[in-house]
Amino acid sequence: MSSVPAIDCVDVVKTYEEGRIRALAGMSLRVEAGEFVAVVGPSGCGKSTLLHLIAALDRPDAGEIHVAGHDLAHERSLDHYRAHHVGMVFQLHNLLPTLNALENVQVPMFELDLGGAERRERARQLLETVGLSERERSRPAQLSGGERQRVAIARALANDPSVLLADEPTGNLDSEAGRIVLELLERIRAERETTLVLVTHDTDVSERADRIVRMLDGRVDESSAPRATVLTLAPPTLRPVRGS
Amino acid sequence: MSFVSLVLRNLFRQRMRTALTVVGISVGITIVVALGAITGGLKDTAGAMLREGGADFMVARKGSADLTFSAVSAKEWTQVASMQGVERATGVLMHVTRHGSNPFFPLLGIRAAQLEQSPPELVAGRLLAPGATDEVILGTSAAADTDSAPGSSVTIAGKPFRVVGIYRSDNVFYDSGGYAPLEAVQDIARKPDVVTAVYVTAQAGAEPRALAVAIEDAYPELTTVRDVTEYGKVDQGIQIMDALNLAVSVLAIALGAIAVMNTMIMAVFERTREFGILRAVGWRGSRIMRLVLTEALLLCLVAAVLGTAFGVLATRGVMLIEEIRNFLEPTYTLDVFVRAVLIAAGVGLVGALYPAYRAVRLSPMEALRHE
Repeated sequence: MSSVPAIDCVDVVKTYEEGRIRALAGMSLRVEAGEFVAVVGPSGCGKSTLLHLIAALDRPDAGEIHVAGHDLAHERSLDHYRAHHVGMVFQLHNLLPTLNALENVQVPMFELDLGGAERRERARQLLETVGLSERERSRPAQLSGGERQRVAIARALANDPSVLLADEPTGNLDSEAGRIVLELLERIRAERETTLVLVTHDTDVSERADRIVRMLDGRVDESSAPRATVLTLAPPTLRPVRGS
Repeated sequence: MSFVSLVLRNLFRQRMRTALTVVGISVGITIVVALGAITGGLKDTAGAMLREGGADFMVARKGSADLTFSAVSAKEWTQVASMQGVERATGVLMHVTRHGSNPFFPLLGIRAAQLEQSPPELVAGRLLAPGATDEVILGTSAAADTDSAPGSSVTIAGKPFRVVGIYRSDNVFYDSGGYAPLEAVQDIARKPDVVTAVYVTAQAGAEPRALAVAIEDAYPELTTVRDVTEYGKVDQGIQIMDALNLAVSVLAIALGAIAVMNTMIMAVFERTREFGILRAVGWRGSRIMRLVLTEALLLCLVAAVLGTAFGVLATRGVMLIEEIRNFLEPTYTLDVFVRAVLIAAGVGLVGALYPAYRAVRLSPMEALRHE
């Protein structure tokens, strides 16, 4: 096990509506660099909230979150952190509707010190990676659901993050499109050695992860996660990939 | 894709709303430009009046609401002329009357000998003859308006005159007027032994400013005007125009800012989710603020260009009216255009600051949840 985990959440608490809704109730999770973790659990158990806190889209009420060596509670600029260290893929692609695929992929790159030509070239390469070179001029409305999600994945990779977070990336897709997206995420994770945390309801998807973390009522469901416990201790290279 | 192309893309989304906002701001800028050009023309005329005959400064009655109301007595004129350091003191009586199509024909009464000392540029005929009482020389515009030439007879304010010369002046006010013997104009104006102002030229070596101060000290009821900025001492007209200009500018900014704020608040509200996406992918708050402000500034810059063009066209349209053309020529100084651009930029910044602040204040999650 690596001494510095890619993600380390300790006793994270997050409530909404002045404490009436407890989304996370002391959630702890440690993810090693390069690991593929699937977070599963019933609706409202706090899966997406956890992902949003790791992506620094929101702040926890209590607890600590460390990502790639960054203590998010004390991070000087969460914008900088979001731009450089994490890539987020949402269930709904969240692409900008007036921009075409190539332009959407370039959006995060404004935070890098790149010229326009370099941005374009880099975005083209990423669209090639997700198999959408032919659709670079298409706007989101002209793309299928699966294609939009692939553009969103390319955008998430724009600034070469070490951690990729995917919130139900196949949730709105048909099985074929979902399969393509999932295989793409697996390939990217393998090629780039990116840490991948994926929230899903789909057991077919979660079964492909290195480790499954089951959540219940805002924390890890310890009672139903023997596989998770075992895999957490194994280094990524020795870890069984799926189904074992 | 550049930052500016992103800005343009956003502006072109709601074309009708963007166009209406631009038109709204343009109207304000149009009025600012037109008023600025007209005020500039009035100032030019005032400046020409001050420089009459190449004088260093003008002496007039203190507190006059309008220069034509100023009355300097013959005695005061003589006293000023006899002061140490005065080279020349030319008394001019200005009488504004209807002549031809010009409702504001300026008939300037002056002694023939003094007109000769600093004559206007003659294009035909001669200057006034010493001792003559029924001669007049006309500006080229006035002559054209009444089909007059040397040898013609004209009647001004009921008094017959012989046209003996035609002069040209760069200033439309003077070019639309005429010079006649002082006594004749005093008779027409029923102002015997009075001139409107005395134009003083200092002797070589004498300091005009010190001379002006000495005259004001010696004759507290008189005032001296050395440049256009002091013109308010004897004429409130330009001050009123300046105040009007300022009031219109402030109104233009206020109304324009409200229009921009309305547009940008709607744009920010509609694009809340997009701002959430931008924050989610790491855009800094300052970049989002820059995006909103640039959109507003670009919108206002277009309005400034359109408003300036409309302003020039509107002024030219007004100048088609002959009565106005005879006494006023708008002046398009750089100052007028710079003011238009600055007002537009002010409108953009004031109007977009709050929407931009709102866009930046949104938490990414809150924005992403927005439907």
